[in-house]
Amino acid sequence: MALTGDLRNFNFVDIFQVIGRDRKSGILFVEWKDLTCAYYVKDGEIVFARPVDKVYRVYTDKDFDLLLSKLRMNEESLPKTIERFLISRLNMKEGIFSFIPGFIKYGREYPVVYPIEQLIVLASRNLAPEEVERKISDEMLLFERVPGKEEVLQKAKLNQMEERILSLIDGEKTVLQIRQMVNQDSLLVDRALYAFLALGLIRRKKKEVKQKQASITLELLAKIIERIRSL
Amino acid sequence: MRQIKKIKVVIAGPFAAGKTQFINTVSEIKTVKTEKRIQHSGERQVKDYTTVAMDFGKIRIDAEHELYLFGTPGQFRFDFMWEILGEGALGVIVLVDSTDPTTFHEARKIINFFQSRFPVSIVVCANKQDLPNAWSPEDIRIALDIDEEEGIPVIPVSAIDKESVKNALLTLFEIIKANLTG
Repeated sequence: MALTGDLRNFNFVDIFQVIGRDRKSGILFVEWKDLTCAYYVKDGEIVFARPVDKVYRVYTDKDFDLLLSKLRMNEESLPKTIERFLISRLNMKEGIFSFIPGFIKYGREYPVVYPIEQLIVLASRNLAPEEVERKISDEMLLFERVPGKEEVLQKAKLNQMEERILSLIDGEKTVLQIRQMVNQDSLLVDRALYAFLALGLIRRKKKEVKQKQASITLELLAKIIERIRSL
Repeated sequence: MRQIKKIKVVIAGPFAAGKTQFINTVSEIKTVKTEKRIQHSGERQVKDYTTVAMDFGKIRIDAEHELYLFGTPGQFRFDFMWEILGEGALGVIVLVDSTDPTTFHEARKIINFFQSRFPVSIVVCANKQDLPNAWSPEDIRIALDIDEEEGIPVIPVSAIDKESVKNALLTLFEIIKANLTG
């Protein structure tokens, strides 16, 4: 299924999160005001980026290796295309994206200089206050670390402040307390938390309240289920 | 006269997620709507009328019980109604428009709202799966940051299809049953 949307409401962190989490392959198109770019995604990693004058032309090149030789691209130059056509544009908020899964045939492994985890962090550093508010909506929110994420952490290449913020997340401190302890602009803290959520490094801590026992008998439940089935 | 006991389920979700349609599809009575013509120009581009208090549908279970489906207004400015409608509910179904990622973050906030106030079973319905540009339930689960430990399934739904809506309700009641027995 296609993933389409507007960057104003679904930013690059969100897009990379969806692409990276289940290691999708395909092509991500972004129609900016000045340029349309195609980002080639293999197993959740962006391996190549290029501007395209007409989207339909991308569909004529189904073999990635053939495309690279046609464009006279070598492996060393692939990361440069990502720097030029993606990383330099992570601060741009106006654009329409669509991700077309499958379609392109990748013949081998390609160098990944910018892992999707690092791109998530780089993108998060450009989030506006109204964007971070969508997920970090309450200063009383509690987050906890997700165990077994060492590899993600290594690829994410956090800066010193982001590492410190991560170290403060323990399921006990609220967002407000973390902001106070870091003693920096709260937007920087919130951007980092947003990125950690997208990376799956942290999760919302479930409140200790036990799920309310339903005030209904099993017999009545069985009746309801039977009744719905018969509708 | 014997008093009918009411069993309540809340149908929540962002603006234009398909809540009224969901209730219409399975309700045995003509859905009671509290719709008002939309004034906001942005919202009017999506539809002409919106729920301002609640929608109400009903399914008769037996001589003594009725299942009430309460649809909440989608906009956050009506969140006081969510609080009122959530009281005493057995479970919550959160509908998401699978074709409109602009509403995914709102959907997450709505889940947070009900999770924090009414710790009851929740099912997320990735609605409008019949449309060509619908996101898959799995992608929506990732976009909504629904962790496996939350125990919230994200299922495909088309609110215009009765079987699909029935399946959503059955999923909710099966979870309630599992919680009751487990």
